[in-house]
Amino acid sequence: MSKKVVIPGDLISEERKKIGSHVFVEDGKIYSDSLGLANTDSPIASVVPLHGKYMPQIQDVIVGIVTQETFGGYIIAINSFYSSFVSKEFIRERLQKGAIVSGKIMSVNEINEAEVGHVHVLFGGEIIRTSPVKVPRMIGKNASMLEVLKKGTGANLMIGRNGWIWAKGGDIKLVVAAIRKIEKEAHLSDLTNKMEAFLKENKK
Amino acid sequence: MNVKEKEIEYVKNGKRVDGRKIDELRPIKIDVGVIDRADGSCYLEWGQNKIMAAVYGPREALPKHIQNPYRALVNYHYRMATFSVPDRKSPKPGRREMEISKVSGEALEKAIFLEKYPNTTIDVFVEILDSNAGTRVAGLAAASVALADAGIPMKDIVAAVGVGKIAGEVVLDLNKTEEDAPDAVDIPIAILPRTEEIVLLQMDGLLKLDEWKKALKMGIEGCKKVYELQKTALRKAYLEAEKEEKVKENAK
Repeated sequence: MSKKVVIPGDLISEERKKIGSHVFVEDGKIYSDSLGLANTDSPIASVVPLHGKYMPQIQDVIVGIVTQETFGGYIIAINSFYSSFVSKEFIRERLQKGAIVSGKIMSVNEINEAEVGHVHVLFGGEIIRTSPVKVPRMIGKNASMLEVLKKGTGANLMIGRNGWIWAKGGDIKLVVAAIRKIEKEAHLSDLTNKMEAFLKENKK
Repeated sequence: MNVKEKEIEYVKNGKRVDGRKIDELRPIKIDVGVIDRADGSCYLEWGQNKIMAAVYGPREALPKHIQNPYRALVNYHYRMATFSVPDRKSPKPGRREMEISKVSGEALEKAIFLEKYPNTTIDVFVEILDSNAGTRVAGLAAASVALADAGIPMKDIVAAVGVGKIAGEVVLDLNKTEEDAPDAVDIPIAILPRTEEIVLLQMDGLLKLDEWKKALKMGIEGCKKVYELQKTALRKAYLEAEKEEKVKENAK
């Protein structure tokens, strides 16, 4: 598997391939549209971006903050272009302003407004902000990285696809340090083993 | 000024006032990701020009009536610092700055996939810290690098350069001394290097047709040189990390 760093406008493939994310076609050739990593051998032409904003997608598990209570529901910030409205009809518990919640994106419309469901309160803890494009690396294959992080720091973690991470208990400073390290080295391989060693080294 | 200025020889034996060749750029240095709180940023030094560019967004466009449900807006702010010129510049945005903001923003719009982000605005702030002619092209070059750093989908990176005529010679990338020459012509050019599509072209002064053709050709070649520098700057951070990785692996 050969990966290469591409920038906007770089040629990915001259052949006909399936079109993945962050690419566009011009004159039958496939080009990258953002700064990222391209896998040249894969049958699908796609780019994994290294930077970017959160774009809500159906089925994403997210972490949000309640910013306002209105007559019929709550307004929840989800680190997207707009906040999301959740009706009180679908929530059993009463939410406080400033509460951290977990949820799932149920639907997204053409201007990227998202509808959130399965809302549950996360009691206590704090939110650590990271870039949404780095979230897959924070979770890892079959949540391997998440397991390493939980075990290494003793914290209870909930990673939202929107780039917000809820953390409670354990060594929060170490969690933040670990997340910053993953952010920095997200494009390198064998990160899970490296993080395991890093956490072991820095554990109190 | 009543005192007659000493006449400067602008081009002598193919060398210019600062020792450059006719088609040589000033030294360019680009740093990416210098501002933490911005989504994307770039610091650029182009000869004596020093420019800081920051990108915020795409974020919700407010007030609501400016939103466009079909595409994103590009809000380009070109501003010169009060200390960027020999005499203090008034911090109030002037006619010149507003015009440059408009044309540069429109140049970037050609490169960005705006339709992906309806109802939003992409804010681009370009602050000129030190100026020595050719700041609008330098600002545009910095802004497009910052946009790529912010992860905004683009067709291509916008590369820009100034060309002109001094003392009857067509030259690339004029500096302030050259720009102040009595018969100077200044042409800022910005292109999308892959397709050579021109996205910004202005001219002040007069040129003959063959001079114009030569200037345009020189400008496009200059843009491609700038493009190479922009590409290396964007890749630099990741390539260095990869190199370190390989060194470590070899050590093992």
